[in-house]
Amino acid sequence: MKVFVFTEKVKSLLELCQGARQIGERVEAIIIQSQDNQDNGAADKVWSIPMQDGVMLEDYTETLAALLEREKPDLLLIEPSKRCKLIAGRLAAIFETSVMTDLIELTKEGEGRHLVYGGAAIRKEKSNNSLSIATVGPGVLQGTGEAGKGETEIFPFVEPSNKMKVINIVQKTKSSVDLPNAKRVVGVGRGIAKEEDLGMIRELAEVIDAEVGCSRPIAEAERWMPKETYIGVSGLMLSPEVYVAIGISGQVQHTVGMNRSKVVIAINKDKNAAIFGQADYGIVGDLYKVVPALVDQLK
Amino acid sequence: MNIISCFKVVPDEQDITIKPNRDISFEKAPMTISAYDLNCIEAGAQLAEAFEGNLIGVSIGAKKIDDSKLKKNVLSRGPESILMVADDFLEDLDTYQTANALKAAIQKVGEFDLILCGEGSADLYAQQVGAQLGQLLNVPVINSVNKIALMEGKVIVERSLEDEVETIEIPLPAVISVTSDINLPRIPSMKQILAAGKKSATILSALDVGIGDFGATLQVIETKAPEQKERKKDIIQGDSDEAIKSFITKINKVLK
Ligand SMILES: Cc1cc2nc3c(=O)[nH]c(=O)nc-3n(C[C@H](O)[C@H](O)[C@H](O)COP(=O)(O)OP(=O)(O)OC[C@H]3O[C@@H](n4cnc5c(N)ncnc54)[C@H](O)[C@@H]3O)c2cc1C
Ligand SMILES: Nc1ncnc2c1ncn2[C@@H]1O[C@H](COP(=O)(O)O)[C@@H](O)[C@H]1O
Repeated sequence: MKVFVFTEKVKSLLELCQGARQIGERVEAIIIQSQDNQDNGAADKVWSIPMQDGVMLEDYTETLAALLEREKPDLLLIEPSKRCKLIAGRLAAIFETSVMTDLIELTKEGEGRHLVYGGAAIRKEKSNNSLSIATVGPGVLQGTGEAGKGETEIFPFVEPSNKMKVINIVQKTKSSVDLPNAKRVVGVGRGIAKEEDLGMIRELAEVIDAEVGCSRPIAEAERWMPKETYIGVSGLMLSPEVYVAIGISGQVQHTVGMNRSKVVIAINKDKNAAIFGQADYGIVGDLYKVVPALVDQLK
Repeated sequence: MNIISCFKVVPDEQDITIKPNRDISFEKAPMTISAYDLNCIEAGAQLAEAFEGNLIGVSIGAKKIDDSKLKKNVLSRGPESILMVADDFLEDLDTYQTANALKAAIQKVGEFDLILCGEGSADLYAQQVGAQLGQLLNVPVINSVNKIALMEGKVIVERSLEDEVETIEIPLPAVISVTSDINLPRIPSMKQILAAGKKSATILSALDVGIGDFGATLQVIETKAPEQKERKKDIIQGDSDEAIKSFITKINKVLK
């Protein structure tokens, strides 16, 4: 199998190329060549597209399509970033296929597995097309670290039919919490009534030496916590030693992101909350009573 | 100004059940508007209201998506009309098939300035249909949009990406996928609910829009619920001081 790899970030290219070696005999990387991107990503060959001034990544889609058309790889692996998902979708439309998105597993036979119905099910599927396209996150395919020969060939830029004009780009300030590596995580949900009450949750987290994450509505609807800290199918997939769910109902879209935790503790005032079905220890009670008591007595 | 909001009709995920053999069952699940397409409809409604535009809701799916309560729900949220291609031939489509069917349906509508899609569908969450639709229609397409400013012949949108916020100008017509935090979907008022009853819905078959033969691009091998990890489920009822104390004793062992 011949695998092509395309990523948005230089850092992901090496990882995905190494992973691609698990799938195919030949791995070729595609890069947009600029001054600060000279990496060949451990591939057998590098296709280098000259970087164009003032052209956004998405506007290289036609160039990628032309390259794929000419070189006919069996599989294209793409990083699952927002920009790359747009590019992947457009390429799939050009090649009359669908992308296997956000794979959690990919076999040599080209069978991919990914979550559907919010995580209630895992679907196994395979492309019917001669070109398979898949978005795969870092860490899904375990790499070998083997380096390829890294021969480079330049592939010319193809002018896109619909160019967009970038007016402005502002870097986001990144939150400094490292939830994926935290041993203990406190997850807070809509059970808290106002933003200030996060203080009490943070206090508890500090007492038990945990980091704080949240359910999606706390980040997206309320905007009380940064978006990078919500847990679940469309957010972080965590597996800490201890997960404490506070005021979280336990809908599947959330629980797929925490159900690999070693121990799950839940606090919820509704005895029928789904979270209790997924917990080792729980208390049916008002978090406004339970949390301060925990802070007080665990100090 | 013709605006189209694409919405998917899905089985309500809260009522999906899992059979002992780990198959998924939808028997108890009523059909509902895919969660994040409420934001897509709302975004269309706000633009249509501000610019005296015409908003149409378009959906593709099996016959069962043609549900009167559901249609009324959609129409109470702003659209002037609905166009559904509802045909059992169109059940469980992959994203390429869906985008193709949407293209065919939209060509029935005629002229459009702006097509809106949601962030991702509640069942597949592939985040692909918008991208594919834009490409198939050969118009500019963008995703992850947080804000839309509509102008003569163009839009200026703000995109929220992993590490940056980007502002771009896009000529119309275009396809735009919006995020779930672009707006807070309205709770329809009594007046809007009553008005919905007077609005129209057009239901077409696959043949009506000329989509006869299209095979799946992905072959589904199986769809199964994951194995559940066994949990102790040691749950204490009530939050009396005593209950809390016994809860603390239990979790203290874990936290030590
Ligand atoms: C495509 C898609 C993707 C999604 N992805 C994600 C995702 O990645 N992550 C995610 O989290 N969600 C996701 N969601 C949303 C998900 O479906 C749920 O809506 C969400 O997880 C619910 O969050 P919650 O538990 O905080 O809120 P709710 O469901 O509102 O639950 C609040 C809970 O707090 C309890 N409570 C209230 N007051 C108190 C009190 N005083 N003391 C104790 N308990 C109290 C209530 O009993 C209730 O159980 C997604 C949805 C869709 C459609
Ligand atoms: N069957 C459908 N009918 C109408 N719109 C759809 C359909 N499927 C997907 N969409 C639109 O495409 C978006 C992305 O869907 P997906 O690529 O499946 O995650 C959704 O939020 C909808 O706006």
